[in-house]
Amino acid sequence: MNQFEGVPSQAPARTGVIAFDRRAAGLTGIVIKGFLLSLVTFSIYRFWYISNLRRFFWGRTIVAGSPAEYLGTGKELFLGFVVALAILVPVYLVLFLLGFAIPALAPFAAPISFVFLFVLGQYALFRGRRYRASRTRWRGIRLAQDGSGFAYAGRASLWWLATILTLGLAFPFMRAALERFRIDHTLIGQSRMRSTATGRSILLPWLMFYIVGLLPIIASLLALLAASGFDLPSDLLIQDPATEKSKLIFNPAYADTPLSLYGGLVLGAASVSIPLAVILIPYYRARETRAFLNAASLGAARLASSLRARQFYWPYFLYMLALIGFVSALGIVFALLVPILAADNPSAGTQAAVLAASALLYLGALIGFTVIYVRTVTVRLWHAVATTTQIENLPALEAVLASSRPPASGLNEGLADALDVGGALEIGF
Amino acid sequence: MEAFSTTGTFFDGLSARPRPVTLRLTFRLEILGEGLRRDWSLLDLRAADTAPPLLRILQAEGPESVEFADVAFADALKARCPDLYRAERQGGLTRLVLWSVAAGVSVVLAALYGVPAASGVIAPLVPQAAEAQLGRSVETQIVDLLGDPPACNEAPARAVLDRLTARLTEGMTLPAIPQVSVRRHALANAMALPGARVILLSDIVAKARNGDELAGILAHEFGHVVARDPIRAVITAGGTSFLLSLVLGDLTGSTVLVTIGQAAISAGYSRDAERAADAFAVAAVQRAGGDGAALAAILERITKAEDEKPGAISFLRSHPFTAERAARIRALARDGQVEHKPAGAGILSEAEWQSLRSICPESKKPDGGKKTAPSETL
Repeated sequence: MNQFEGVPSQAPARTGVIAFDRRAAGLTGIVIKGFLLSLVTFSIYRFWYISNLRRFFWGRTIVAGSPAEYLGTGKELFLGFVVALAILVPVYLVLFLLGFAIPALAPFAAPISFVFLFVLGQYALFRGRRYRASRTRWRGIRLAQDGSGFAYAGRASLWWLATILTLGLAFPFMRAALERFRIDHTLIGQSRMRSTATGRSILLPWLMFYIVGLLPIIASLLALLAASGFDLPSDLLIQDPATEKSKLIFNPAYADTPLSLYGGLVLGAASVSIPLAVILIPYYRARETRAFLNAASLGAARLASSLRARQFYWPYFLYMLALIGFVSALGIVFALLVPILAADNPSAGTQAAVLAASALLYLGALIGFTVIYVRTVTVRLWHAVATTTQIENLPALEAVLASSRPPASGLNEGLADALDVGGALEIGF
Repeated sequence: MEAFSTTGTFFDGLSARPRPVTLRLTFRLEILGEGLRRDWSLLDLRAADTAPPLLRILQAEGPESVEFADVAFADALKARCPDLYRAERQGGLTRLVLWSVAAGVSVVLAALYGVPAASGVIAPLVPQAAEAQLGRSVETQIVDLLGDPPACNEAPARAVLDRLTARLTEGMTLPAIPQVSVRRHALANAMALPGARVILLSDIVAKARNGDELAGILAHEFGHVVARDPIRAVITAGGTSFLLSLVLGDLTGSTVLVTIGQAAISAGYSRDAERAADAFAVAAVQRAGGDGAALAAILERITKAEDEKPGAISFLRSHPFTAERAARIRALARDGQVEHKPAGAGILSEAEWQSLRSICPESKKPDGGKKTAPSETL
């Protein structure tokens, strides 16, 4: 739900607001119907489900007085998915057979597959965005996206390489560069959007996340590697012979060597940094979203975001509270079932009833989790981004003219879904 | 007819400029604004998906639309426009559900019956070199999973083992000469891998009481090699897991379902393969002059009683119950006895057997390990 494209309203207003009704009446029905039908249709219904969700979110996001409109259909997504499968299945087969056909390549088969599918995934992400843009209409004007998916995939891959080589320091610059590429290729009607996003604008939040969440792990890992002369013994961790469980312990043979010291450091750093990193993710995302929204403009009109990090924490906090409540309620129902189960010689009828009740409970729990997630996290994050965004110099948008370019095909997003790179339940842009 | 009117915003669909208008509803919808006059038939109107009180009305097929926020006006409009919420095609949902259920069932059936049948056809077509390559990598993987047990290669014992292999495979049409390796391991088991590789774990040598028992085990694995079961298992596992993950897609808990489904399918298939390999073993041992029923004896000895209770997960067993297997093996051995000479002193002489038993001298540290992977265990 990044970068919701904003735009204008009544002539006199200089500033346009974006509104979204957080109560989202009718959403629960869409989610439950979507979940149950996905279940019985071997998840083929998910394409119609996601289209319904998008139509709901788009239609209730009122940009400068005018609601946005989602025009995509489940059928388009489904057909795109089928075509993408026809392309991908041979690709998977070739990647799979590569290892056998050329024995010399066998050790590299996994990395080759990974790299290839990663690049293809980036391509699919960009093209999926193109589909969503072309199915978005506001004030009767369709959005669009041009630019080559391969150019985007190439950029993304090189930037990721740079990020890995700099141990993560290039990450904000990669995010900004890719954001500029995406926004600069986004059109509203015939007018092109512009982004002035810079890596520097999100460098501080990233460094904070980096120093607390990543640096200790990277540093201790490097120390461990250096201590072992960049040749980590494969038996550093062994199974605990005492318990015979699959619990891993340090090989006592390495006690009193620097390896155990640095190994302990890695564990210590990870146990502190990973929870901290998880806690800091919403903070970084909020800062990035605000910086990128502030950098987006269309002609003289520009977006202004006043998003606060706490607005990204609150939904997750509520989500956890709701989950605790829901799981307790489930626990109570389950506790009522247990005595029946534990009874001596339960009749066949009771057993069947308990079995059916357990199945219903499981299904209910899954539906409950999904509904709670969509209603607390998805809706509130969407609401936070939408309502803190304003359009400055609104009248400039009135100059926007419709474009005659044909809308993109559903295949674009089908590829993303088939590659599992987040097409399916990612509602936003 | 009562006339309603309200104010709204008109968009021409060509530019984003909002134009304030007055709407008037009679038996038609009139839209009046500065330099603007529209008169739309109520039959042509369609409502977009918006949240009340906002309503957007489009004129069917045209780019023009009008928005207003007046509930009373909207209600009046809904009452007079029969097609306001008509989607271009209705009733597709039932068809969609039925078709996708049919598609799902057909894919599951293909996974159940099609893939095992296809793997039987494909397996002989796999080039020797590719299968050998696969066998090498699978062996590395298995040895790794077992905790890297050392190979046992005491020269005199090795010679006996090679002779035993040669006698058992005499006159057989094998895809390749089996490469039998022995590894020191506390698990009493043996497995056949692609590329005619057979691994014996030292504990099964220790648990065998005579040469015929070990010959039965070896011959059982050779039976898998002859039937090309290991490479078929690889193809079947790959095919079914691909198909099942295709239908089950990203459903909640689908990974578990795919794993269980694949295990159940390959297990059901492999139970048949096990029976065939048992029958093969009895015949081969008897042909080589041994006691075909010896395999039953060692199977019963190495089976843990608690693994044998029929239960909810019986359908996941890759091997039939030992009692059932032993009974079949003994019956086959009895029938086979008629054609061949009665069991003599056994395949191996006492001296040969003692020599073979010492293939893994003094075990230093027993190693626990897990087993998985595309292999045909005993």
